[in-house]
Amino acid sequence: MSGASAPVNWTPMIIAFLAGFISRLLYLRSGRSHNPGYPSGYMIQIALGVIAAMIGSSVIVSLIGKEFTAATFLTLAATQFFNVRSNERKTLEQEESLILVGRGAGYIEGISITYEARNFLAMLIALATSIVAELNLWVGIAGGIAFIIFGEMYMSGPRLGQLVDVEITELRYEKGTLLYVGPVMLMEVGLADSRERYRKEGVGVLLKPRDARGEAVLWNVAQRQAIAHLAAAAVGVQKDVGYPEQGVICRMNMPAGLGQAGLAIIPVERDTEKLVRAIRNVPVLESSKWSRVRNTKKQQKRKGEAHG
Amino acid sequence: MADAATPAMFAIVTTDKNTVLYGGMAPVFLAPNNVERDRVAMWLCRITNAIVHDLHNGTVILTVNQASASSG
Repeated sequence: MSGASAPVNWTPMIIAFLAGFISRLLYLRSGRSHNPGYPSGYMIQIALGVIAAMIGSSVIVSLIGKEFTAATFLTLAATQFFNVRSNERKTLEQEESLILVGRGAGYIEGISITYEARNFLAMLIALATSIVAELNLWVGIAGGIAFIIFGEMYMSGPRLGQLVDVEITELRYEKGTLLYVGPVMLMEVGLADSRERYRKEGVGVLLKPRDARGEAVLWNVAQRQAIAHLAAAAVGVQKDVGYPEQGVICRMNMPAGLGQAGLAIIPVERDTEKLVRAIRNVPVLESSKWSRVRNTKKQQKRKGEAHG
Repeated sequence: MADAATPAMFAIVTTDKNTVLYGGMAPVFLAPNNVERDRVAMWLCRITNAIVHDLHNGTVILTVNQASASSG
């Protein structure tokens, strides 16, 4: 600010900056997407978070100081954040060919959108807080906390466990070679050696949707790839290059079409509880947010059972 | 990729040569019995990163899927 202007009140800017930055930090907890995983990854996100919070918090202050040029430049800087999504997507897509159980394009898009949105959220929280903080210091602090809580609530999407029941179920074979989990056929395993591996070490999981929303989620193939990836990330998977049919697979109940999904995995760590917990915690992808599907086949079957 | 990549048939291993017509796109390996057939199929599939499918008529086929390294 130039020396000729009135003295600047820094308090709202500092409070707003802290609010925006904290909201960005809160979401950097790894675990959910296993990304970022390394300090360098965190560093990029933290640096971007600092810049975002800075921009959001200083707009109002510079407007009040009648520094319109500065305010305009700040909005210009905000457009830089549109690159975050494509950068994040590029990184994850590169990784895709290097990991044995891929995240799938849907999950990658979800992670990148979240990263981008989080920066803008930090910016918005900082902006909103700086407006409130102009009134009073304590009002600003209270408002900042409220905005952070609101942002957290609003930005965290549903988890699979809220829509789908996850049960450990035994793996079995039909016709000698068809691998089943409960009523769901997963694949044809032609190699006796692989069949034996699934029989001895495999774990089967049955995913039963609780309602029409849950079923719509399971029908989405990107969602099932994300489930397979996160299941493998949680308990490990005994799979390597040259063993394409061993590892993890998640398929729908076809051709019966009753809307349940099955998952088979050859885990490294045989901890079924951990596996179930990981699958319940899988985020529901944006691309699987279809409208509810009412499965007519299931209704017919239920009617048939009632009559029979 | 909305649907799985179409796999290419890479090889055929059979104990009953009447079930396979020659002149196709994949080499046919003859085996005297099921044990030998499974052994040959396993060697081939480990070498070529292929997936074995049993046709339940004495023949197994090996398919190679482009995306098999990354998709479950």
